Amino acid sequence: MTASLPDEVVDPNAPVTNMDYFMALEFEEIICPVVQRYADGLLAGKIIGHRCPQCELVYVPPRGYCPIDVLETTEADEVELADRGVVTNYTVVTPVQYYGQEETEPFAKVSVLLDEPGGMLSLQDVLEVPVAEVRIGMRLEAVWVPEAERTVAEIGNRWGGAGGCILGWRATGEPDVSPDQLNDRVF
Amino acid sequence: MADIAIIGHAQSPSWRMADLTEPQFLLPVISEAIASANINRRDIGFTCAGSCDYLSGQTFAFVMNLEAVGAWPPITESHVEMDGAWALYEAWVRLQVGDIDTALVFGSGKSSPGNLSEVFPLQLDPYTLTPLGVDPVSMAALQARALLDAGLVTEQEMAQVAARSRRDAMHNPYAQVSGEFDPEKLLAEPYVTMPLRKHDLPPISDGACAVILATADKAREVCERPVWIRGIDHRIEAHQPGMRDLTQSSSTRLAGERAGVGNAPIDVAELCVSFSHEESVLRRALGLGDEVKINPSGGPLAGNPIMAVGLARIAEAARQVSDFGAHRAVAHASSGQALQQNLVCVLEGD
Repeated sequence: MTASLPDEVVDPNAPVTNMDYFMALEFEEIICPVVQRYADGLLAGKIIGHRCPQCELVYVPPRGYCPIDVLETTEADEVELADRGVVTNYTVVTPVQYYGQEETEPFAKVSVLLDEPGGMLSLQDVLEVPVAEVRIGMRLEAVWVPEAERTVAEIGNRWGGAGGCILGWRATGEPDVSPDQLNDRVF
Repeated sequence: MADIAIIGHAQSPSWRMADLTEPQFLLPVISEAIASANINRRDIGFTCAGSCDYLSGQTFAFVMNLEAVGAWPPITESHVEMDGAWALYEAWVRLQVGDIDTALVFGSGKSSPGNLSEVFPLQLDPYTLTPLGVDPVSMAALQARALLDAGLVTEQEMAQVAARSRRDAMHNPYAQVSGEFDPEKLLAEPYVTMPLRKHDLPPISDGACAVILATADKAREVCERPVWIRGIDHRIEAHQPGMRDLTQSSSTRLAGERAGVGNAPIDVAELCVSFSHEESVLRRALGLGDEVKINPSGGPLAGNPIMAVGLARIAEAARQVSDFGAHRAVAHASSGQALQQNLVCVLEGD
């Protein structure tokens, strides 16, 4: 944590001015066992999810529970998922140049509903497709980072993702899925 | 005010560093609290949580915590960026309306991932205190120094509070620090921040607590030994430490008076004694004499899951009433630095 303070005592009658105050906090957490197995899977080129034994919804990354049925899920509920799927929703982010922002051009983050047995990976990057062409129903496939270069340093307990192992997703060129078939599949 | 009762509760252990996510360790705690109250999850009319995103360093961490509740189909819920004891206060107010009969309250936190001496100043006052490097331990040390200088506490008494808390915690399955310690040997240890030694400080803990509240009719229907909330109040003082007398806690005194602590004898008190010298301040503010048993659980000196630790005092005080024969108990929760904000709750059996 660093603070930068004014160098001189300020005249109390002077107009109010701004001062720069940069701060940072560092956090270090243990990756929980469920997410660790997911991360190990990604390093081996596999996407692992948990299927709720009650509602059969597939969660990826696995969370160790089903929030709908309030059940704990375990290794026994693991399923290996497809690395192809369809865009169910997306957001185009227009970067604001706040301190630390590295993006300069608008970019899309998409949610990908994976092919059978299912599972939804959110906040994914789309590769080689102009932002204006990103759309619901578009078929995608994962672009994996070469095995020797994969890293799970970005994988955290909460906002999961697959960065470091899956570079992003590219269009397969297959016909779009009708958005009508994607109702109720926001998450 | 309508009579509201505690009809169930549960806690996780206090862990130095949990390898589970917050929702992962919250889920069984909430399920256990619901089961202990002998109700169905769908009976709950209102849910209120207390947690702090700063602790885990993740925005909207409190939203993820709702995954441990069973929030689909949608439920009515609220959140306070406060200890779960304040979530309990909100739920108590909500139940006063009378249109619902049951509420779930929980508090949770992982203190382990961050550096608390940096996290808390930024959370509590990033503008004037943080640049001075005022962290909770330095603030507590200033308060302890003021008490020592005023002759209101001695280092020996502080060591005795720590030793007693750790000894009592040997019977608490959720405790993190427990065992037999000789106060004289504790006093031979070096200072961490003068005049505080390690035993004067709370452990760093991850953990959770959940409590179920019910209106009188519902409590009678489902619970054999409801624990009644006879009074509850919370008060706050100026956050600038220079603006208050650190040897007193006028906010605790006021909250205690409003909650009715002095209206009848108290058998036991669960106080949020995060630093050993605070027990002296809180005892005086609440008028608790030597006959009152303090912190039979060991209190925060034995397990300190920030954001759950205050709610856990209420759960532990309720346990004293429902399971260990106390008739009238006081529970206390604190927030901010050096006992800045305080909540006091009076509990009774039938």
